[in-house]
Amino acid sequence: MAEQRDDRSTTDQILDLLLDALSERQKARIAARQRSASSPPSGVYQVSERAASAPEEPETGPEHEAPTALKRLAAEQRSESSGSAEPAGSAEPAASAEPAARTESTPPVPERRGSPPEKPAGPTPWKAPQAYRRDPGPGEEGWEPPPRLPSINMGRMLGRLAILVAILIILVNIPVNTYGVSLARILPETTSLIIRDGLVLKGGGPEIYMVEDEQLRWISSMDAFEHLGLTWGDVHVVEDSFLKRFKTGRPIHVLLKCGSSPHIYRLENDQKRWIRDIETFEAEGHEWEDVRFVPCQYLRDLPTGPSIPEDAGPPPEP
Amino acid sequence: MSDYTVTGEASRGIRGFWQKRVEDLAVIETILRNRHHFFLEIRDGVGLGEKVQAMLVSSIFFLALYGAVLGSTHSLWQALSSGVKLPLLFLATLIVCSPTLYFFNVLFGSNQSLTQNVALILTAITVTSVLLLSFAPIVVFFLLTTSGYQFFKLMNVAIFAICAIVGVFFLAQGMGIVSSAGKEGAGARRTVMWLWVIVYAFVGSQMAWTLRPFIGAPSMEFELFRQLGGNFYTNIFASIGEILGFFVVR
Repeated sequence: MAEQRDDRSTTDQILDLLLDALSERQKARIAARQRSASSPPSGVYQVSERAASAPEEPETGPEHEAPTALKRLAAEQRSESSGSAEPAGSAEPAASAEPAARTESTPPVPERRGSPPEKPAGPTPWKAPQAYRRDPGPGEEGWEPPPRLPSINMGRMLGRLAILVAILIILVNIPVNTYGVSLARILPETTSLIIRDGLVLKGGGPEIYMVEDEQLRWISSMDAFEHLGLTWGDVHVVEDSFLKRFKTGRPIHVLLKCGSSPHIYRLENDQKRWIRDIETFEAEGHEWEDVRFVPCQYLRDLPTGPSIPEDAGPPPEP
Repeated sequence: MSDYTVTGEASRGIRGFWQKRVEDLAVIETILRNRHHFFLEIRDGVGLGEKVQAMLVSSIFFLALYGAVLGSTHSLWQALSSGVKLPLLFLATLIVCSPTLYFFNVLFGSNQSLTQNVALILTAITVTSVLLLSFAPIVVFFLLTTSGYQFFKLMNVAIFAICAIVGVFFLAQGMGIVSSAGKEGAGARRTVMWLWVIVYAFVGSQMAWTLRPFIGAPSMEFELFRQLGGNFYTNIFASIGEILGFFVVR
């Protein structure tokens, strides 16, 4: 056994001894805790007082061999470095005879050479390090929940946070401009328009377009805009460069007719333009579904623009 | 005189109602600060009904608020719709998935009741919801200062993921404590729980896709539910692609 120990390097020995020391110290702590729990009230005071003065004091007994062995190893190294022929076990009696009141922070163990050794000198048999025992986790056997924490009135605080969020939601949804756009939606979109038929776009100019078959169709008047059932909320303001990606399609006009007149007029730039005949109507790409019936007086009140085609002559009154 | 009495009783009733709701919110504190005791009480079946009710009220309230924040990017109608749909999403997923967890736990030796299982899942949902609420001011801030729909969507996906992960860890811890009574098959039950979490995530994401929109694409009209098509994951990858500039969602 001793030969086997000699084969081991000094580092291994130190590490083993350190492990021993740790496990022994844990044992000592558990024993001290058990003693303090089982002792009468007067004893409790004594234990706590002592613990305050010397919380990590090593005690005599088999469980404190490891710290002693550490000190012995240190003494061995000191003796080797100084070249003295001090016996290896000479530090042990000094350690075992330490006063109980010494604190852990006290550095090196003072050697009291005058006191006789209580234990026979010689190498302490090497003990295999004990396996590390982790504390039981939640739900495991022997686990104790931590003490209950006092209330900090979090329910009330959460209620206030919820009220604050509710107020924020209301505030960001209140319309703030003439178009009825709220704070939450006031920033123009920069990305992520889903391009589809019916998407309404507006560039830097006043023109508004509707996307149809990947083409931009200019909505020629507010009448047409309203006729299509659009509102300002449907209009997406985009960069002009974005509009240039699309081909230009036929403009979207509103065709107006009143009941007592056979003529059809196209509304363009807020002027009525007479369409001469059916052939022109169809050649312009118009469809009967686009014709809206309005009162004749409304048509008469609209300013008159050039006829379609422009050489068709003066337009008739509706 | 009788009017005064009626008014007094009514006000007392209203005050009592709100007091009860604030008490319901206090369950959050117990979960966050004294969760070990909370789980032990669930294990012992102490006040299960009250706990489930308090967690339901709290999580519905918080999720509704967060849903309203999400929908505010589009329109008031979307805000109201999302305020209803977000709690619905979590509760529907809970209803769909809790029997699976319960029966698989029973299969592997658990002695928990269905109510205890539901209480544990609700704990995770409540933690998720309160964390979501804590993110709400940040979301409002980004709502007011950015205009990128895809960014906003991905930010919310990330927030949901973070909050859900924390909620799942609460569920795992709670499951460990509550199922400690039955030692047999504890390892298998732990595996079952993690597998169930994956299933829950898939069901939840599909449920969210079915109930969409929650935010509302800026170029589209308000819709209560959108047509089915595509799936959650391809949409998220497309959004990431657009954010990184690889392509535009069309």
